[in-house]
Amino acid sequence: MKILGVILLLLALTITILPQYNTCAHEGKFITLANGKTIEMKCSWTARAEIAVGSTLAVVGLMMILSRRKESGIFLAILGIVLGVFVILLPTEMIGVCTRMAASCKTLMKPALIGLGSGAIAVSVTALLLAVTGKEKEA
Amino acid sequence: MNSIRLALKNIKGTSFRSLVIFLCVMGVAGFFLSTTLILRGTEHSLNVGLERLGADIIVVPEGADTKLESALLMGKPTEIWMPRGIMEQVAAVPGVEKVSPQVFLSTLLGAHCCSASEMFLVVFDPETDFTIRPFLEEELGRGLGRGEVIGGRYVFLPPGDKYIYVYAHPLTLVGNLEKTGTGLDQTMFFTVETAQDIALTSQTKAVEVLNFDSNLISAIMVKTAPGTDPHEVAFDIRMDVAGVESIETPLLFGQYRNQLTGMLWGFLVALGIGWGLSVALIGLVFSMAANERRREISVLRALGATRSFVFRSLLAEVGLLTLGASLLGILVAAVAIYLLSDFISTSMEIPFLFPSWGSFLILCAIGIALALGMVILAALFPALRMSRQEPALAMRE
Repeated sequence: MKILGVILLLLALTITILPQYNTCAHEGKFITLANGKTIEMKCSWTARAEIAVGSTLAVVGLMMILSRRKESGIFLAILGIVLGVFVILLPTEMIGVCTRMAASCKTLMKPALIGLGSGAIAVSVTALLLAVTGKEKEA
Repeated sequence: MNSIRLALKNIKGTSFRSLVIFLCVMGVAGFFLSTTLILRGTEHSLNVGLERLGADIIVVPEGADTKLESALLMGKPTEIWMPRGIMEQVAAVPGVEKVSPQVFLSTLLGAHCCSASEMFLVVFDPETDFTIRPFLEEELGRGLGRGEVIGGRYVFLPPGDKYIYVYAHPLTLVGNLEKTGTGLDQTMFFTVETAQDIALTSQTKAVEVLNFDSNLISAIMVKTAPGTDPHEVAFDIRMDVAGVESIETPLLFGQYRNQLTGMLWGFLVALGIGWGLSVALIGLVFSMAANERRREISVLRALGATRSFVFRSLLAEVGLLTLGASLLGILVAAVAIYLLSDFISTSMEIPFLFPSWGSFLILCAIGIALALGMVILAALFPALRMSRQEPALAMRE
């Protein structure tokens, strides 16, 4: 369970940090409005939302390392699965990324988040199975 | 206790050694699959692209063959022109069944209806065309109308828009061709009539004027008659028609294929070195473990375990480790390549299309076989030595 917690923590940190360096805004590309103002593209908003999801997932990972009770293990694993699903949904369905093929948010950030989110789900499902079938540790 | 259960207990009991072997095997299997997938994916993309061209021979102006290849392969901007009259000369060559012109009109940069940074505009003649028409008949049940376009995979209708505007002229996207991984994915095809309309609109409404001269063409697609040798027909075209280059489609991207072969050899050498080093490392780890476990094996033998049982349990131990590690390595590599296919294509500037399921499964099987072979070869000698040792002698030492 502790090893799974460490893996989840590492995945969560990557989910939080990686998108920040793969947005169009990070590459200096913005949308220019008719009034001359520039606004960030949707990949930037996805990256920001991933900070919230990723940092929550990091807390789940940390709690998984410290947790000893079976019930909390089950609860944390379920939370991990839900957050993993959100990691995938943010760049694919909920906010999205830019359509330009050469944009690193489309070629790197989105697939990486799908992979990392799937990894988080896989780790959480394993943790759930271990928590359900395993014995409770003494405090 | 059977040999599998004993092997599982041994794996659990020697976690560090098992982890080293696991990571080694996972690395080799993952490396094998990722590199072969990239190479196979590039080849698959080239083959699908050639199939989509649908012609046996492509005729271009002399010296324009490289331009045509870079345009078709990576969607690089190109300008190729020759008089339309050449088409009749090509059609008159013996063995030529059909000819159809294509005009590489222009390249749009940063078009908001294409997810690639450059988009090709290709004009075809619906009267003579045999390359786009079969797809149109299959998908739409009719040809392309005036103001209608068919696009490659990366061409799309911008969200909220009814039309794609090219040189300020509205066009209706009626469908998309299947992905090829080549420059054809960022190509928009339309008829001569539509091209004339766009050119007319551009004169009054567009920022830049589109010049379209119906007497000039870029390439001639040639279909050879059944029973004729395309190689001979291509040779005859070069001999009979002055100022043109005839390229047999299977020979297109020849330079690129040579580079691929070079890459393949480099990869085989790297894989061979990695494989050999892994065999040596796993062999060393297993030999060390053999010395550590002499007493344990002797006790097993003293309790009645046969030599073959000991040998089988040792091989089962590495076999289980290898199977698990190679499956995980292959899964990680396959998912990574699948998800990052666009990144690989743009960063390495290669056409890429994920191979068919059949060839993918064959590659996976080869990867697992390679990993199993590697570990069994490395563990065979130490396992034989351990199983053949005399229990009494080993226990006394």
